[in-house]
Amino acid sequence: MLVVHAFWSPGRGPVLWAEDGERPATTSRRSLRSARPHPFAVPASQLAGIHPGKQTSVTLLLPSRASGPVESPELVRAAPGGRRSGQVSLQPWSVPAVVVDPAELGDPAEDVRYGRSVAHLRTLVEFADDLAGRGRVLPTLRPGPEARWRPVVQGLDAVARRALVDAVPPVGRAEQRRAGDVLGHGPDQVVDAALAVLVDAAVRERLARADEPVVLVPPRSGRAPRSLPATEAWLAALGGPDARFEATDRELATLAEALDPWDAVTTEETGPARATFRLREVDTLHDPADPGDDPLDQTGDGTRWVLEFQLQSTEDPSLVVPADDVWSGRADRLITSAQELLLAELGRAALVYPGLTTALRQARPEELDLEVEDTHRFLTEDAARLLAAGFGVQLPAGWNGRKPLGLKLSVSSPGAPGVVTRGGLGREELARFRWTMAAGEDELDEEEIAALVAAKARLVRIRGQWVSVDQEALARGLEFLKRQNARRAPTVAETLAVAQGALDTPLPVTAVTAEGWVGDLLRGTADRTLEPLEPPASFRATLRPYQKRGLSWLSFLANLGLGACLADDMGLGKTVQLLALEAREREGHELGPTLILCPMSLVGTWQREAARFAPDLRVHAHHGPTRERGETLRERLQHTDIVVTTYGTAARDIEDLASYAWHRLVLDEAQAIKNANAAPSKAARRISAGHRIALTGTPMENRLAELWSVMDFLNPGVLGTPERFRQRFAVPIERHGNPEAAETLRAITRPYLLRRLKTDPTVIDDLPEKIEIRQEYRLTREQASLYRTIVDDMMEKIEDSQGIQRRGNVLAAMAKLKQVCNHPAQLLHDGSPIGKRSGKVARLEELLGEILAEGDKVLLFSQFVEFASMLVPHLSARFDQEVLHLHGGTPKKQRDAMVERFQSADGPAIFLLSLKAGGTGLTLTAANHVVHLDRWWNPAVEDQATDRAFRIGQQRNVQVRKFVCPGTVEERIDALIESKKALSDMVISDGEGWLTELSTGELRSVFALGAEAVGDE
Amino acid sequence: MSDQPFWAQEDHPKRPLRVENGVQIHSTRGTVARTWWSKRFLAVLEDLGVGGRLARGRTYARSGQIVSCELDAGSVVALVQGTRPTPYKVRIGIPAWGKEEWGKAEQALADDAWYAAALLAGGMPTEIEGLFARVGLALFPAARRDLTMDCTCPDATVPCKHLAAVFYLLAERFDADPFEVLALRGRDREALLANLRRRRGSAAAPEPEADLPVTPLGELLDSFYEGPAADLSRFAPATPAPGALLDQVPELPIAVRRRTVRELLRSAYAELAKEG
Repeated sequence: MLVVHAFWSPGRGPVLWAEDGERPATTSRRSLRSARPHPFAVPASQLAGIHPGKQTSVTLLLPSRASGPVESPELVRAAPGGRRSGQVSLQPWSVPAVVVDPAELGDPAEDVRYGRSVAHLRTLVEFADDLAGRGRVLPTLRPGPEARWRPVVQGLDAVARRALVDAVPPVGRAEQRRAGDVLGHGPDQVVDAALAVLVDAAVRERLARADEPVVLVPPRSGRAPRSLPATEAWLAALGGPDARFEATDRELATLAEALDPWDAVTTEETGPARATFRLREVDTLHDPADPGDDPLDQTGDGTRWVLEFQLQSTEDPSLVVPADDVWSGRADRLITSAQELLLAELGRAALVYPGLTTALRQARPEELDLEVEDTHRFLTEDAARLLAAGFGVQLPAGWNGRKPLGLKLSVSSPGAPGVVTRGGLGREELARFRWTMAAGEDELDEEEIAALVAAKARLVRIRGQWVSVDQEALARGLEFLKRQNARRAPTVAETLAVAQGALDTPLPVTAVTAEGWVGDLLRGTADRTLEPLEPPASFRATLRPYQKRGLSWLSFLANLGLGACLADDMGLGKTVQLLALEAREREGHELGPTLILCPMSLVGTWQREAARFAPDLRVHAHHGPTRERGETLRERLQHTDIVVTTYGTAARDIEDLASYAWHRLVLDEAQAIKNANAAPSKAARRISAGHRIALTGTPMENRLAELWSVMDFLNPGVLGTPERFRQRFAVPIERHGNPEAAETLRAITRPYLLRRLKTDPTVIDDLPEKIEIRQEYRLTREQASLYRTIVDDMMEKIEDSQGIQRRGNVLAAMAKLKQVCNHPAQLLHDGSPIGKRSGKVARLEELLGEILAEGDKVLLFSQFVEFASMLVPHLSARFDQEVLHLHGGTPKKQRDAMVERFQSADGPAIFLLSLKAGGTGLTLTAANHVVHLDRWWNPAVEDQATDRAFRIGQQRNVQVRKFVCPGTVEERIDALIESKKALSDMVISDGEGWLTELSTGELRSVFALGAEAVGDE
Repeated sequence: MSDQPFWAQEDHPKRPLRVENGVQIHSTRGTVARTWWSKRFLAVLEDLGVGGRLARGRTYARSGQIVSCELDAGSVVALVQGTRPTPYKVRIGIPAWGKEEWGKAEQALADDAWYAAALLAGGMPTEIEGLFARVGLALFPAARRDLTMDCTCPDATVPCKHLAAVFYLLAERFDADPFEVLALRGRDREALLANLRRRRGSAAAPEPEADLPVTPLGELLDSFYEGPAADLSRFAPATPAPGALLDQVPELPIAVRRRTVRELLRSAYAELAKEG
């Protein structure tokens, strides 16, 4: 396994190098005077194969012992050596490396772990792009001559830069600058050098992807001269891909001189604090008993507006000091040179907001008095300029610039809530609805609207809140009210669209209130208020209460014609809820078939579960080389309720599938369409169906592209275009952690999303404490062909042998077949890379992805130490985290330490154990998932292992998964064990000896490879 | 030596001796006296017929011939390397104000925070001349007699090229830090700010913290591959209008076909704000 590290080499750019756990840990070279070759660094040619770039060699200062560099904590050696001891000191090493394009940093390879230093450089790339996107850049002239964009880092950006400087890991500046250097680059130097290059690149990239080419040089009339004037050449080079241009020295000197004032715009930090401006409404202190005029009263009710000056610490933004405290000297202990800093900040702010100057013409300026018009301008213009220049602005409570005067829609749904009737409720109109004018959430009455219309000032106080009034918009709003209230009531879909800001209105919609079930839907509480539905009598499973609620929710959305995403935690029974819905709808009704798309490994699960729970449903699996097409398929669909197919098959047979009008289209493991441009997504979108449902067990809140794709599939257009979505949600949420954008997104998706967690007490009470799940997967073609070879070969040997030799052969065949199901490399013992050669490992990765995404911990049991040893480096690279591995050779002391670390809250989340060594004695209750990677055909042994997690001290439900590939020895013996009759006389206290008693014919049918064993994607 | 001014002379017969580690010129380009206050300071030299052409002294200053330059209350003393082995001593004198005069000026400055705010933001309001005038002081030299200029070189021309080079350096220092103008009159930045603070009725400022030096890699062996995660979402600045920064920077004296550089760049800033 490789661990990639990175550093920024000033003058060269991002440089990658990597450690390899397969290479020797030590060197025999003893020379200490010059840099020795790093013993386990990856050759530049190999690294360039993963991350293309210019191959080079660098000298790095690394912590080392006499025999070699100390390994980074991310490195996992397949065969761990003993702990080396000895003094650790800094020594130079010659390390092969690759100078890459910054874009390479954002394109991680699989099976490789990345150190902290790579993540840090990625953050720098993001920061640079963010600066470019916010226009915090200025053009400049560099020797060459080159036209470059440079960052302008002020205010909060300066704090962010400081954080980036502090976060440079030592390895990120470990490049030796010259022989004998032991200091390394300064973190400031590294960050600034990187930002200079990255910002220029980010600006050029943004300009390059413009829809229309950005032309900075105005067109000239007449013919262009042979050589452009320097300014024009400079401008052209700023807008193009190449920064270089040509000009005479004299012209350059003039240009340089002219650019001086821009170069003087500081990139320094402004200091440990910044000014913030707080707009406040204060009492004029005019005695109400005094009949005289109140000259200060600007608002007509004894108040006036002031803008207060404050200093806010940039290191601790919660520390805000009013100007009063600054002038009195009280702030000096908190903020260095507070007075000079406040003055400098005010001086700088006055350049952006000249209105400030009047307040400064006194000894101790604390605030600026504002007239109502000034206040309006401050709120609409000046505040934004101050913010952009890096100052803080605080607006009064109750003022929310984003919720000014607006419209409010009130709707209430007819009938008793919770009663869902059949028949297109969604196309019906809502019984009562009303549009009104509102200030934020508050509805305005006639009198207040009249007052607004009559208002002269642009700020009007309504119910204690200041409202910004634009007379023109107000008039258009009133016109809109007249029109809307005269037309028919909106449908459910229209109401949802309005609530989600999709309707074009002359004033913003500031509030939507909804009563009845429409309200429940908007609030995302529909599943709790709907009457739980019962599955039909023919349904052969008892639904748990939360599953009945899920059923009625699905049914409710189906009746409204709204696409639904059931995102319950894994293990809560999404399949059974969907089957219950289908069974209920089809009872006594003739409906067209429903199409279910799922990964190959789940086709069998759907068939089996349907046969078990809803035997009345006619289920057809559409996959494999012999599947029906065209007219035959059409014929088949006449007599089918549910068609199950894979995403891959659906993409291939899309012409057939898209020509049919389906009752419903269901996407299982809907994260499969996370990439909206990939073939499965495109196929899913082309299929027309009366209703759409997505099932997924992964929390989508943090994967916004996936969320968009799934939501857009369910209800096309609901989240807007991908570009609009990125602008409105993805960037504010992912880049800036904007809570308002996140809340809006939650509100929009809420009606269509039902997600219950295992930890939810209303769910957990319903559950048994141990959930056994058969985890199906499919073999790859390589595995299948190896499997067949072994069966042919071993059956021949078994037929030809007797007695103890036959027993030996049977057990050997057994072991080999299990190995090949695990991974081809385990059978071949060739140490070849894991890659994508095992269907089991691929499925395990998907499963672990879900488990880790939920923050859970997992025990993985295998009877093969070799398989476990292969998985440790692979999984730690795949999930970038430590993977514990306990086997028979682990010393007692180390064993105890592993258990203790696993049990601690922030310890490793994946624990691989050998079934024999780890199956008894240990307490590993931190795990609530247990996975049996391969089978020991003795349930008692497996149960014992399972009980490491499922024992006293376990607070949560435990999910136990056993990997089984249909059509292989795994499934056949699983079936034998599952049938109780066979179990009673076959299970012997230890091992698999009973297998050897089977006749050759029985063995042949047990070992044979069925067609269903091989995946088709 | 010729009685012509140095810039009118033909090729100088000898090259001046090179200086190691001369005074660092801040920029290797730029006009002399970019700001109004350094222009205003040098205006007196216009009368002598040198002010406008002072830029010629640049060549001398740029080639690093100034060995040292000390700005103090009332004087600028510099050593300039010429053709002789011993550098010439250059002195520019201007009357520094006494305690009483500064007291009045400081009170006026303390009473109007606008001046200190502008100075600390790197500027100087033009009204500052009037402020000093009201307490009977002329901030800038008004005539030749307000300045004394001496150089130990044999050139009889005043100012000689050595003086001109020092004036150039001085103008550049004024451009970079307007406090230097006041320092020449007897109050350096620290003293002035401390006095203003006192006159505002505030306690003395505590010592500022020094910048942290770079930690040698050898002291970080235990956490060599680690570093705190820098969570940029904690510092989420507001999304400004595209090109807000462009509106804050001064207009440049260059244009293409009568359209200013600022105007021409605006489309690029608008494009930057688009999310692809």
